Amino acid sequence: MKLPTGVPILLLLAGAFAGLSCADIASPSRSQVYEWRRIVPSGPGTADTLSFHWPRSRLPVRVWVEDALNLPAHVRDGIDQWKAAFLYREFDAVVVADSSTADVVVRAGTALKGGFSIIRLGSALAPECEGGTDFDLPGGSRVLVPPIRVFVNPRFDPASPGVDECMALTTTHELGHAIGIFAHSPDEGDIMFSDPIVPEPSARDRATAERAYHTEPTLTIGSR
Amino acid sequence: MRFVLALFFVLPCVGVSAAPAQVDYYARIGLSATTKLVQDRIIQDIEVRQNLAPTLVVGASLPIAALYRAGLEGTVTTAGFHSTEAGTDTDLGNLRTGSITLGLGGPIWHTLGWRAGAGLITYWPGDQSGIFLRGGSTRFLAGVGVDYRHKVMPHWDFMASLRYDFHRFTTDELVARGFSGSQGVQRVSATLGLAGGSR
Repeated sequence: MKLPTGVPILLLLAGAFAGLSCADIASPSRSQVYEWRRIVPSGPGTADTLSFHWPRSRLPVRVWVEDALNLPAHVRDGIDQWKAAFLYREFDAVVVADSSTADVVVRAGTALKGGFSIIRLGSALAPECEGGTDFDLPGGSRVLVPPIRVFVNPRFDPASPGVDECMALTTTHELGHAIGIFAHSPDEGDIMFSDPIVPEPSARDRATAERAYHTEPTLTIGSR
Repeated sequence: MRFVLALFFVLPCVGVSAAPAQVDYYARIGLSATTKLVQDRIIQDIEVRQNLAPTLVVGASLPIAALYRAGLEGTVTTAGFHSTEAGTDTDLGNLRTGSITLGLGGPIWHTLGWRAGAGLITYWPGDQSGIFLRGGSTRFLAGVGVDYRHKVMPHWDFMASLRYDFHRFTTDELVARGFSGSQGVQRVSATLGLAGGSR
């Protein structure tokens, strides 16, 4: 029996496509990450690991920002930079108008004095400004009490050279703490270095954030 | 790439003006299913896949030999896409694709015909984020298919088609993130419509 004219061509092409289609894209190793969790002493010779990321059910995270010192623009830039760190919408945030509904509150000024329930994540130490992020974790609890409070403060006259740039990168650094990077990078090429000098998250920052958001956290956050 | 795209748009115009009475044209709608676009691993495996997509196909062809026709076929799909990790799906927004192929076709048996073509496929994401942070992607595409036609009016045929095509997918953002190679993507579509013209 003779095959119709098109059948051999179709079979040949289909076989070629099927053969070509086997290989998958190769994902990066993401081995360049730093410790993002906070290790705290929990007793004599023991330690507890605190880690957190915003659950998908709480996205977008609501951020309120004080309208001072160009902070709203810095916060929007910082949110965009951290959103861009993720490939699969693990994190999202929006700026809201009412601080009473916010999950994260960003203010200009010095950080609150840490009380017994406050975990203070170390300030960025760029010379022109400073920042801090406070998490309220009641003793014995595994549930953070919102809002997370971010403070960014100029050390000199805000109009001085370099202050606005410092405020921008420090805001991004502190927002990095607020999304769940609870520790500092040991590498000065990262925005999460304790004394940041780079303006945006590095590949290591992004890989660390991705790792944090794909690891089961030890802390959750309460509702507002 | 722009030259190839231009060629796809110019060629059919030349053909139509040369032999308008011999042009066969069609439009169909249906659904397309697609294999995964991205395979990743961050602690656990992650897959990105387009949802079952409503599909619009338009095309035209001209006879080039006794048994063969050459033609151009354009396909548009639009649907959401999502990632899946540990059995949980996350909506990643909307994704539109447009493809255009230059192809050959001919009869198989009675009113059943075949088509094979090659061309380009473009991805237009609903918003530039995630794997599409640096924009969409245009890739080469090749495909085969079968068409069934049944005359329903003097100048119109009912047309049912199955298509299979293949391309390799990546984006500028995936490359910038250190992904290497590209993902083989296979699509299958089933569409119904009307064909008219000289056939």
